[in-house]
Amino acid sequence: MTAFMDFLTVFTQPELLLLVGLGTFAGIYVGAIPGLSVTMAVSILISFTFSWDVYPAISLMIGIYMGGVYGGSRTAILLNIPGAPSAIATALDGYPMAKRGEAGTAIGVTTVMSIIGGFVGIGVLALAAPLVSDFALRFQPRDYMLLAILGILLVGSLSQGSLVKGIFAGALGIAIGAVGRDPLTFAERFTFDFQLLEGGISFIAVMIGMFGVSEALLQLHHVNKDAVRQKISRIVPSLSTVKKHLPLSLQTSSIGVIIGALPGTGGDIAALMAYDHAKRVTKNPERPFGDGAMEGLVAPETANNAAVGGAFIPMMTLGIPGDAVTAIMIGALFIHGLNPGPMLMIDQPDMFWFIVGCLVMANIFMLIFGLTGIKLFTRIVEMPRSVLIPLIMLLSIVGAYAVNNSITDVYWMLGFGVFGYFMRHYGYPLGPVILGVILSRLLDDNWRRAIISEQEDLGRFFAGIFSSPLSLVLFVSVILIFVSQTPLWTKAKARIFSKERPRA
Amino acid sequence: MKRMIIGALSALALTATAAVAEYPEKEIQGIIQWGAGGSTDTVMRSVTPHAEEALGGTVVMQNMTGAVGAIALNHVAGSAADGYTLLMGAENPLLYKVMGLGDKDYSEFTPISILARGTPVLVANPNSPFNDYAEMMAYIKENPGEVKFGSTGPGGLPSVVTAMISSVEGGLDVTAVPYDGDGPALTGLQGGAIDVMPAVLGAAIEGIRAGNMKVLAIMDVAANTKLPDAPYITQFNDAYNTYLPWGPFFGVFVPNGTPDDVVAKLSAAYATGAQHPDFVQLMDDRGFTLMAITGDEADAFLSKWQQGTAWLLQDADLTKASPEEFGIARPGE
Amino acid sequence: MEHIDPEHHDGTSDATPGGERDKRRPGEVFFAGFLLIASVGLLWSAWGIENPFGPNGLSAPRSIPVAATLAMVISAAIIIFKTAKLPLDRSETLARDILPVTAVLFALFLIAYGVLLRPLGFLPTSALFLIVAIKLLSKRGWLWTLTVSLTSLIVIWLIFRIVFSVLMPAGIVPEAEFIQLFRGLIRGGMAQ
Repeated sequence: MTAFMDFLTVFTQPELLLLVGLGTFAGIYVGAIPGLSVTMAVSILISFTFSWDVYPAISLMIGIYMGGVYGGSRTAILLNIPGAPSAIATALDGYPMAKRGEAGTAIGVTTVMSIIGGFVGIGVLALAAPLVSDFALRFQPRDYMLLAILGILLVGSLSQGSLVKGIFAGALGIAIGAVGRDPLTFAERFTFDFQLLEGGISFIAVMIGMFGVSEALLQLHHVNKDAVRQKISRIVPSLSTVKKHLPLSLQTSSIGVIIGALPGTGGDIAALMAYDHAKRVTKNPERPFGDGAMEGLVAPETANNAAVGGAFIPMMTLGIPGDAVTAIMIGALFIHGLNPGPMLMIDQPDMFWFIVGCLVMANIFMLIFGLTGIKLFTRIVEMPRSVLIPLIMLLSIVGAYAVNNSITDVYWMLGFGVFGYFMRHYGYPLGPVILGVILSRLLDDNWRRAIISEQEDLGRFFAGIFSSPLSLVLFVSVILIFVSQTPLWTKAKARIFSKERPRA
Repeated sequence: MKRMIIGALSALALTATAAVAEYPEKEIQGIIQWGAGGSTDTVMRSVTPHAEEALGGTVVMQNMTGAVGAIALNHVAGSAADGYTLLMGAENPLLYKVMGLGDKDYSEFTPISILARGTPVLVANPNSPFNDYAEMMAYIKENPGEVKFGSTGPGGLPSVVTAMISSVEGGLDVTAVPYDGDGPALTGLQGGAIDVMPAVLGAAIEGIRAGNMKVLAIMDVAANTKLPDAPYITQFNDAYNTYLPWGPFFGVFVPNGTPDDVVAKLSAAYATGAQHPDFVQLMDDRGFTLMAITGDEADAFLSKWQQGTAWLLQDADLTKASPEEFGIARPGE
Repeated sequence: MEHIDPEHHDGTSDATPGGERDKRRPGEVFFAGFLLIASVGLLWSAWGIENPFGPNGLSAPRSIPVAATLAMVISAAIIIFKTAKLPLDRSETLARDILPVTAVLFALFLIAYGVLLRPLGFLPTSALFLIVAIKLLSKRGWLWTLTVSLTSLIVIWLIFRIVFSVLMPAGIVPEAEFIQLFRGLIRGGMAQ
């Protein structure tokens, strides 16, 4: 009963309610601007809310977090520039819809699906947090490695056009992710003795360059063409649309919660895996994937918002951050005199239920703000390209700089922008590059951790996989997905060498 | 004429002193060497607002990560020595030279305040077959190479602690599994991916309280007030007295050449900030020992730390270059 | 052969402008060749990564980089082989479809921006960039150009510099002093 009262705290205090709302509203815009990240916003809020009580501070942070994860989809749909890494998959089908003048519909579906995903995540957090965190702890380095390989197999789904070009792009991404001093031995990798390269290449800079600057350069080809008029008559999706996608959205939400709850993986990987899942299970989409399939929006958006609730699970039960934002929130709780850790749930259960309440409230605010501000947002795409293009370029520069306060990142961003421009012209998919960069560390670190743990012995390594049910399930999934992408070796060969480039 | 010149000069001198007296006349940048949410970040973000109050200025804090903090260190070392760029860092730059990570360390900086020091602790997974340090050493002797120790890369706290153990015990045959920070390693410990982790007490204390990990020994010469019942390492082996007390620390620095009165003002501000009850409470909760030392005391602390640690690693053959090359004397010489 | 269709890109191609499936675009082989050479270079560089604290075994820092760059070399080789076999798309030219003057010009603008950012500072460089770019693209009057570019620059500056305290290089503009003055004014105003 007290739990219920703690849960209601946020609903009964207008001040807290207002802060959650303010946070969610701000979060949507922070999330929508590439380079402004929720992580940044929350760490600034730590200093800003320093002298506040803990409840108001947490309310504001949670609002920003929820809103920010959702906001990333806006620019992905409207401009093909994901506002945050977790919206990369959203751009794949969202942008084609906007080009057809259906941005309103796309945003509407995204909003409703984000809320469904959000609630699934919160539900799991509230009802099964200890269970899920036990499960998440069971992941060993080799399981993370298998998960990363599973992720890399998504290259097949993300390669619109040529599979072999997708493989090239994915491998390039992994190599980009390895640049700099190796965090485990401090060996220099691909630094060519430049001190500038020692810190590595920020993957946000790669993302902003490849999507933002290359898009702006391409738009220059059509600078005198009028922007597509957006129909914004029908924004709220009909009940039948929601119903139709409900089974898929529940599946992809579950993916989101689990991936979000794993320490070290977050909404970005969850969204990409969900997209792949949708592509696998949807037999007859109304439009093909990559051309504006509704399912291509449903999957990533449910998953990345479900990952928010997921990320709170290890944080609340064990004091282990589920992602970068929850890591900062743990710091915030410390500063406010709490001791986040396994004892928090026992010592101060009110905090847990209060956070659940805030998340629910943020989710509701997301619906309100998500469905009301669409007109303003669509105006952005209807702006004359002569103004839009320079602004996208400037925002990309500032955004790349903001990630790590480094000019080097700006140079990288510009370099990858020009490179991405050529890649697009010659039919190389960009998604796999980002996928590779995201997964590079996960794969590299965990492969090495796993093999070091087995004393560099491959036999022991495989024995380990076969002795753990979890590893075995992941291993079998890797094999199955790999085989399903290449049904027979001969067919695979035919595909790689075929003269016509089939759609993968 | 002469009078006019003297007048002008004294006016100039006056404005010059006035300008310094007005420090800070613009906002100050605080460059945090580590990422948001880490220990350094938390410490800096919680002490700085109190210091701002004492200073009467604004400190804008930014995280600048990469190359184990070397990027941030080089950035601040290369900025103007006017007191408007602060480096907020931890202990590891003192090892950059011997680890081959860079050619700069805190000798290029003037310490504003060494805020606090942490205590290392050896923790283990609750299911591991040993319950204290002595049992662990016995188990390792019987099963060479089988026990998995977490590590955070060369020069990190775990590598120093394991070097200490191996030089005291004459060898330590374990498998070191590298993680990119003590947080992820302690997560791995709770999931059974590693068996033992040398970590800073503050990072492990909540897990210990909850029984998710057990203390094998606190790496200190006396019992810890946060965990009064936990055994400390010199109970098992006196030889550790040579190296202890030892621990990571956090400090605020400005580049050498910063005007003395600016350094004095900043030092005073951070000294006041560090004594704020909220900060004292936070440090105590996380098991850190508050230091708040500055000036010569801080310099002496830094050089003692660097000598002891660099030579410990050198003797354990974990360095890339001898401390001798950089004029770091062997302790006691 | 000489038929030139100015609108052969229908405007939808700008999301994934890969050209036509069974034809090779101008410069495509060159680009593929560049990728192959770069991949070989990276593979060589990856092989040179040494483990500073142990043997170069399976867990060495080079293992994943070598695997990734090897995959790059192999796929780049297949790509160049496949691309070379395709017939050239004669309806396209490098100068018009791949590298039109405006795109090259803007790439140069961006490089100039990067060079000027540190010495000149964020505000002057960005103002210059926006004014030149918008004037060039919109071909409208100076008043309109100046209003649009400066207003948007101020909005961006307020968001990033003030709200998010992202400290872009200040260059020749004494930003920090200005903000402090402003803060002082507000404080003074509140004190009264």
